[in-house]
Amino acid sequence: MGILPQLILNSIIAGAIYTLVALSFNLIYSTTKFFNLAHGVMAAIGGYAVFYFSKTLGLDIHIAIVLGVILTGFVGFGVDKFIYLQLRKRKASNMVLLVASLGVMTALQAIIAILFSSRFKTLSGNIDTQKIFTILGGVITQTQLVILLSAVLIMAGFVIFLYKTQFGKTVRAISDDEEVARIIGINTNKIIGYIFFIGSAVTGFTGILIGFDVGIEPTMGLSLLLKGVIASIVGGVGNIYGGVLGAFLLGFVENFGIWKISGEWKDAIAFALLIVFLIFRPRGIMNK
Amino acid sequence: MEYLIHLAILFVIYATLGVSLNLVVGYTGLLSVTHAAFYGIGAYTTAIFLTKSGVGFFSSLVSGIVIVVVISFLVGVVLSKFKGDYYALVTFGFNAIIFAVFLNWQNLTNGSLGVPGISRPELFGINFANNFNFLILALIFFVLVYFASRFIVNSSFGRVLKAIREDETAIAVFGYKTLSFKLVVFIISAAMAAVAGSLFASYITFIDPSSFQLTESMFILAIIILGGLGNLRGSILGALFLILLPEILRFVGFSSDIDAQMRQVVYGIILILLMLYRPQGLIGEYKL
Repeated sequence: MGILPQLILNSIIAGAIYTLVALSFNLIYSTTKFFNLAHGVMAAIGGYAVFYFSKTLGLDIHIAIVLGVILTGFVGFGVDKFIYLQLRKRKASNMVLLVASLGVMTALQAIIAILFSSRFKTLSGNIDTQKIFTILGGVITQTQLVILLSAVLIMAGFVIFLYKTQFGKTVRAISDDEEVARIIGINTNKIIGYIFFIGSAVTGFTGILIGFDVGIEPTMGLSLLLKGVIASIVGGVGNIYGGVLGAFLLGFVENFGIWKISGEWKDAIAFALLIVFLIFRPRGIMNK
Repeated sequence: MEYLIHLAILFVIYATLGVSLNLVVGYTGLLSVTHAAFYGIGAYTTAIFLTKSGVGFFSSLVSGIVIVVVISFLVGVVLSKFKGDYYALVTFGFNAIIFAVFLNWQNLTNGSLGVPGISRPELFGINFANNFNFLILALIFFVLVYFASRFIVNSSFGRVLKAIREDETAIAVFGYKTLSFKLVVFIISAAMAAVAGSLFASYITFIDPSSFQLTESMFILAIIILGGLGNLRGSILGALFLILLPEILRFVGFSSDIDAQMRQVVYGIILILLMLYRPQGLIGEYKL
């Protein structure tokens, strides 16, 4: 057996985290059609907000998490309202929005570093007291179980939200064609604002989970976002199940890829997977 | 005075990077975010040749260019399949992969410890260990790169590049093989970045992978967007501004840790404001 069960567990946990980022990225990308580089920073904002509420202010951890998620949602909403919406009104191209989001990412990341220093921090109180479960010779922590469970619940939430509610229908209408959606009387900018709130809140929550599992640092967002992007492209942009499939595929490829070599190759392996897919199956696994 | 010369050398190196990247982004309209990878390959080739073998600076420079030409050819062929967001994303990927190679090819690059003790060039009895002499050397290379770039953009080749930027389908209909035009300009631009890398390595005399991350590519992109796309003088202006910016902030008197972050905040905000109010940059001729 050896290391194999642990590798499988690690892949599944990575897959769960990528699922959350891929779903939220996908939601924003499919409605706005621009590559929002600042999306990853929301994970850092969520993580640091919980750090502030629980460790500096001493609030109960559950309240801190709820506040952190809401705060992150509002940051995403605000960024859309004050920057992206203004650009959309000016009919800016997607590339302009991409560069603006690069600016947002750089500035927010640095503000976090000024407020909390750029040192690595962890949200969990004491690693040793965490419950550890053994499954088939592999080890999984309580936090990691929560991550798995959250991924499943949030995915179910997305499916219900997008396919069973009136609001979800509106969102899908905008994804199909924003122009037409506006013509039939949908206030697209308002809906996109909500989408930013939801997407950012989910990513903020992901950042909090990562904070309990490994830890947080101001620059954690970019590589996380790129993993989410790779997962959603590999799975098929705009397809919920595709995003999940892509996320787990990426988790497995990454973790098995570093079986025999150094862990620092992970990012390179992830991008290699992306490039292979973009060349041979650019529409992703699930899309027709 | 010594410090001014240091700033001047950095400025010249970044101006070289900016001018060369402008050929691809500003004149051809391809949002490439992988310039630091070619810059790094140039730097590492010089570093490794100068520390591990007896060859001189100029042979190492030429070898760097040759290696970069080969690699950028391969990268360019893959990139030729993509447009817009996906083009940018794949260039992110190449930067991440090359960075992982710098970090993990221990025997050759010494991993994260970097390569120390790179010597300064000596030629015709002039010793470039003197910083002023080195500035002249860097300037000579910059002038060569600048005039080569100017020649390219004013030639009929350059006019085709601009036509590709404005409407690739239209120019393809006229029988121009746009793919090879894009590939050639990509290779030329990468080779120029390799020159900047060689100069950087032998000037700083120590390099490590952290200088060639994705964020460095984004910094070079910020230089040319600030100065203005499709204008070579704009890239010089952009480099001047972003190299001097930290010096201006120095007068405000933050502590050194906050100072570095403050710079990032300012540079993020500059990008956002530019996109909102002046997407063509200071003196640019092309809007993204």
